[in-house]
Amino acid sequence: MNVKGVKFAVLTGILLLVFAVTDPLHAQTPSASLSGVITSSAGSAVPNAKVSIKNQVTGQSTEVQTDSNGKYRLQSLPPGEYGVSVTADGFAQKTATVTLSAGGEQKADLALTNSEASPSGNQAAPSNNLPNAPSSTSKTEPSLNDLGFPASETQGNAKQQALLDKRTHMLKIHQRMGLITTAPLIATIIISANAGGKSTSSTDRTAHMVLGAVSGDLYFITAYYALRAPRVPGTKTKGPIRFHKAMAWIHGPGMILTPILGAIAYDQKSKGEKVHGIASAHGPVAIVTAGAFGAALLSVSMKF
Amino acid sequence: MNKKALLAVCFLVLPALAAPDQQWVLAQSTLTYFVSHPLHHVEGVSHAARGKGICHEGQCDFLIAVPVKTFDSGDSNRDIHTVQVTRAGEFPMVEVRTKLPETAGNSSTIHADLQIQFAGQTAQFPQVEFQLTKQGNDIHLTGTIPCKLTDFKIEPPTLLSLPVKNDIPVKVEMTWHPQ
Repeated sequence: MNVKGVKFAVLTGILLLVFAVTDPLHAQTPSASLSGVITSSAGSAVPNAKVSIKNQVTGQSTEVQTDSNGKYRLQSLPPGEYGVSVTADGFAQKTATVTLSAGGEQKADLALTNSEASPSGNQAAPSNNLPNAPSSTSKTEPSLNDLGFPASETQGNAKQQALLDKRTHMLKIHQRMGLITTAPLIATIIISANAGGKSTSSTDRTAHMVLGAVSGDLYFITAYYALRAPRVPGTKTKGPIRFHKAMAWIHGPGMILTPILGAIAYDQKSKGEKVHGIASAHGPVAIVTAGAFGAALLSVSMKF
Repeated sequence: MNKKALLAVCFLVLPALAAPDQQWVLAQSTLTYFVSHPLHHVEGVSHAARGKGICHEGQCDFLIAVPVKTFDSGDSNRDIHTVQVTRAGEFPMVEVRTKLPETAGNSSTIHADLQIQFAGQTAQFPQVEFQLTKQGNDIHLTGTIPCKLTDFKIEPPTLLSLPVKNDIPVKVEMTWHPQ
């Protein structure tokens, strides 16, 4: 196989590998479900109440009726923030907001008041009817409000969770690609012994170049997922991740410089010349680059 | 004579019945979670919990809450991942509720039935043992809650494709101050 053939095969392999690794990006988000019981203010079940929910972002709405026990259940809902509205004969309309998370089942039990008791006809649900809120209105049971947390700390945010999910997803690919990159990188270093020096074998040099190119391509795919992962505002970097990021300032430029110097060295060797000038830095730069890459990998894998 | 006795009873007993309920406030706390991975043993600590206990008719209702994001494991990347995997973006607080008899403070060991809301789920932890020591008026309490990831339907995070163990015990150290 000539050099072009080898390059084509390697590129095809990389593309297949990348598609295999990044396929979860296109995986369908798991759906969520919402269930609960609709009761009167006296605590008795309200059958045939109409429960409507509306996605706050897409505007898509779904409706269901409660059964004889006042129970309702809505399934296969896209995760997100929903407005819930409950209407029943003789009762005032009740509204609430719930946040549904992917794959989770959320409960929202709502108590309706008699329509006479609520002339406005539209009453916001008290927070204690919502999930993740104090479970009782008991006089003696403290509520989250009693503890004095600022609202910004206690209220959930579906957008924030979506950002965190995306960040984790991209960093998982970054991690996986980093590990995959290690294999051709080590192979490139191992066969480098026969690629330079006094060796005149063009096959070894070509193999070294091809493996180096594969390593470089995989490396930049790895870097892409780290660089494009969403940042979380207000986070101060600390711990091993600081070292991991610092190493990127060494192996990043190294991964650009090494193939450039390698190409010059390859050219010189192909002309039968001894590697000279700036090209002679190819080996040392590659070693420093690979060392920084390995240190970055170990820093987040092992506890020192 | 009977009237005087009745009046005396009214003056002595009624104020006692109408006395405000005893309240407790969480003065200091250290909550530590432990996560085990084949390559790591991670501890995350938070001192940001707030709590209150209200006693009425011999029974006390306690609520302790802490923002998930306040747990510090020494690695900001891991802490953000913890927030993500526990869905703290949507459910930012851990809330612990329990009921105890007012006399519980006189014991050196208590067993509390805990209800914990975390990651959008509610789990019950019956008869969790805590050691109590009195420090003046304050009560210092220590114990470990045997939490598991599956209790809260949390998918175990992985590092190098290896998942963490299901057990995530939470060590509790709290000082309660009467109000």
